[in-house]
Amino acid sequence: MTDPTEDVAGVGLLAEGLHDPGPAPAGIRRAPSGVDGLTTEHLIINMGPQHPSTHGVLRMLIEVDGEEVVAAEASIGYLHRGIEKLAEHRRYNAVGTLMDRGDYMSGIHGEMAIALAVEQLMEIEVPRKANWIRSLTSELNRLANHLVWYGTFGLDTGAMGQFLYSMRDREALLDILEAISGQRMMFNYVRPGGVVADLPAGIDAKIRAFLETFDTYLDEHDALLGGNEIFQGRVKGIGVIDAGKALAFGITGPNLRASGADYDVRKAKPYAAFAELEFDVPVGTVGDAWDRYQVRMCEMRQAARMVRQCIEGMPEGEHIAKVPKVLRPPAGEVYACVESSRGETGIHLVSRGEDTPYRMHYRAPSLFVLQALEDILPGHLLADVVMIIGSTDVMMGEIDR
Amino acid sequence: MRPDATDSSAPTGAGGEGTEAGMSLLGQTAHVRAEAVIGTLAALKDEGYESLVDMFGCDTGESIELTYHLRSYAKDRDAYVKTVVPYDAEVASVWNVYPGALMPERETAELLGLHLAGHPNPRRLLTTDGVPPLLRRSVAIRSVEEVKRR
Amino acid sequence: MSPTAGVIVRFVALLGLMLTNGVVMIYMLRKVLGRLHIRYGPIHVGWHGTLQTVNDVLKLLTKEDITPSAVDRWLYRLAPALVFVPSLVAYAALPFSPDLAAVQLDTGLLFTFAVLSIVPIGILVAGWASSNKWSLLGGMRAAAQQIAYEVPLLLSVLPIVMIAGTASLGGIVAYQEGTFLGVVPHWFIFNPLGLASFAIFAVAALVELNQTPFDMSEADSELVAGFATEYSAMKFGLLFLSEFSNQFVLSALGVTLFFGGWMLPWISAEAVSSVPGLPVAVFMLKAYAGIAVMMWIRGTFPRVRIDQLMQLGWKRLIPAALALVLVAGVIHKAVL
Repeated sequence: MTDPTEDVAGVGLLAEGLHDPGPAPAGIRRAPSGVDGLTTEHLIINMGPQHPSTHGVLRMLIEVDGEEVVAAEASIGYLHRGIEKLAEHRRYNAVGTLMDRGDYMSGIHGEMAIALAVEQLMEIEVPRKANWIRSLTSELNRLANHLVWYGTFGLDTGAMGQFLYSMRDREALLDILEAISGQRMMFNYVRPGGVVADLPAGIDAKIRAFLETFDTYLDEHDALLGGNEIFQGRVKGIGVIDAGKALAFGITGPNLRASGADYDVRKAKPYAAFAELEFDVPVGTVGDAWDRYQVRMCEMRQAARMVRQCIEGMPEGEHIAKVPKVLRPPAGEVYACVESSRGETGIHLVSRGEDTPYRMHYRAPSLFVLQALEDILPGHLLADVVMIIGSTDVMMGEIDR
Repeated sequence: MRPDATDSSAPTGAGGEGTEAGMSLLGQTAHVRAEAVIGTLAALKDEGYESLVDMFGCDTGESIELTYHLRSYAKDRDAYVKTVVPYDAEVASVWNVYPGALMPERETAELLGLHLAGHPNPRRLLTTDGVPPLLRRSVAIRSVEEVKRR
Repeated sequence: MSPTAGVIVRFVALLGLMLTNGVVMIYMLRKVLGRLHIRYGPIHVGWHGTLQTVNDVLKLLTKEDITPSAVDRWLYRLAPALVFVPSLVAYAALPFSPDLAAVQLDTGLLFTFAVLSIVPIGILVAGWASSNKWSLLGGMRAAAQQIAYEVPLLLSVLPIVMIAGTASLGGIVAYQEGTFLGVVPHWFIFNPLGLASFAIFAVAALVELNQTPFDMSEADSELVAGFATEYSAMKFGLLFLSEFSNQFVLSALGVTLFFGGWMLPWISAEAVSSVPGLPVAVFMLKAYAGIAVMMWIRGTFPRVRIDQLMQLGWKRLIPAALALVLVAGVIHKAVL
């Protein structure tokens, strides 16, 4: 990120041919400037990095004409901690802790990506029970993440109650995850070879108790926010990303599926126990914020379904394969990806046979969504900017790394 | 998969001596010269690789190896295009072919010390002015004493 | 007593009412929102947290009043006054009981609306003077929404005025005495025309009060505190005190116009007014019930977008209110 004082005094944000204000959303009449002979000015507004609604420390420079956004630029780097550089100085068992802090809402998915990468290089076979535990915690984590997304999305629109209801449900999930891994958020649970500890006794009773009420609560959440006409009016037709644009920008995950492309890493390149679990993948049509909302609500239902299957079908066995204490994968290169709550989290690992990675690149799904946002924001109103960022569920922790 | 005709120099892969010595589990990879990158990517995009999944660089010790990771959802196949550039080289931006490369290119150029050409917004992305290219092997992580001294 | 002393007594009483109302309403807001959010709200300071607001007022009084250097000095200081004083004056015509209103005005309704329409000017001034783009946006939004919605607000109560035959608030309350067919109280809410008016009045009142779902000018997820971002300590206190006081005034107005004011259903007016203090208690209870409903809506609904709000106002509410005036006039003339 550059010196902040330069940006605003600069010539303006419209670079050559980059930003083309798309078609205006329904109901907006784009007034030509200089109407009635008045000279008007565009304001360059700085949104963030401290702001009650941007999801993390995101700074958007928005050029507005009244309330309509003319150009937008994302200025990031406020959460850059050098995860990729630090990974070059960590043993492979410890890289998971760095991944936990990248996308900190979906820690299990990040840890799983690096674990899969190491396992592919070392050709380790993960025991069946470990795979089932991985799937279980991964779907529990997805539920926790989507509940936060739901709550903060509601909060962005001004509906305060929904945030606390989703936090109430998330507390039950975090209790379960704490019982399993010892931590509420930075789990450090999935390691190359399996998981670090077996499921504790009595955990299936806890999960069953959670699942009993969760489906009803989820219907309530959906009715309260999604069934509200004001909310629907604010998200329908907003932030449309069509499938071609989504693919060209490299968007993955729920955002891509909402645009119409049916691709889920759990189905295309199955890992952990997902080949054995039954679940549907929701796909949208239009690619607006409403579709993204629907896709994530459906994903929550599917995740609950998978958690139930995992609990009922949990096999017996080892929770981790026999791996050496210090992992030394042979020299080579590998790309391993998982379907995290935000999209495809990938780890591109380059190893030179040492006990630390030579180069680890963390493919963050939100980064590709963020650059697409710069392209789709022009033409919307200022209030829509907040809605679009909220609907795409960007996470600065993984963007900045 | 037929990349552009002007093909690779000796493939100095990042994973050890070359892609034969260190095993690459990536699948189909094309090693091309730096000038041929845009042509190769455009050819691949015409062939159906409509998505850029990732773009990053790696400091191999003598040079910087850039990797473009493409995917065709229709064929469900991944492809990698790798090229090697010297330190402080100028890299042509591929955003016209794949707009998904906008921010990854900025990040790679900034953290590995390259210069971007043809990019609409080639400014730094993640670090502030004055920070050295952090991902180079020559830039060391600060020791505890250094951190305390500041 | 002499007229001057009478004025001073009334002024002090209204000021006291306004401040007490502020204290009560802040506590009520925190408790109601808390319970809606599955939490308690304040419980430690005082019995069940009742002294919490006193604590907050003392805190606001002792805070440092920071004035940013780039603000427009005089406008910055003027804005809280422009917002506070009309809110205070608006209490003048409210009938708390048959003989207890600060001023008995024949045009009490018009007077209240006229005075309240100065508040958006104050908000606009606050937004502009703050020299902050976000406050400016908040002020602009307030100007657009609150000034625009005064039209449906006034139009929606015209049928009431027509039917009651007077714009005096005491007269409107007196008209609502008795029952219809011995069963249904004569309140305007049970009158079909009155019900339709109330629908429009309720929406327009929520917009005028800057309450969710129409609180765009202080949209806290977009504009931090909107027009009030740059205000601290007592200036901020004045701005938000006047917001709470406006809520009371419009809720009290709604009670007066549609819910029979200080009267109880099926009990005659003399019976109610013969018990000392009962009319005032009934009036306050009804007003605070209305406020509680507003807080309930606040804790549940998302916010409308500014252009959707303007479309709602100009394209739907105003034609509906005009149609209602037409229908009420025809029926009133035809029937009576």
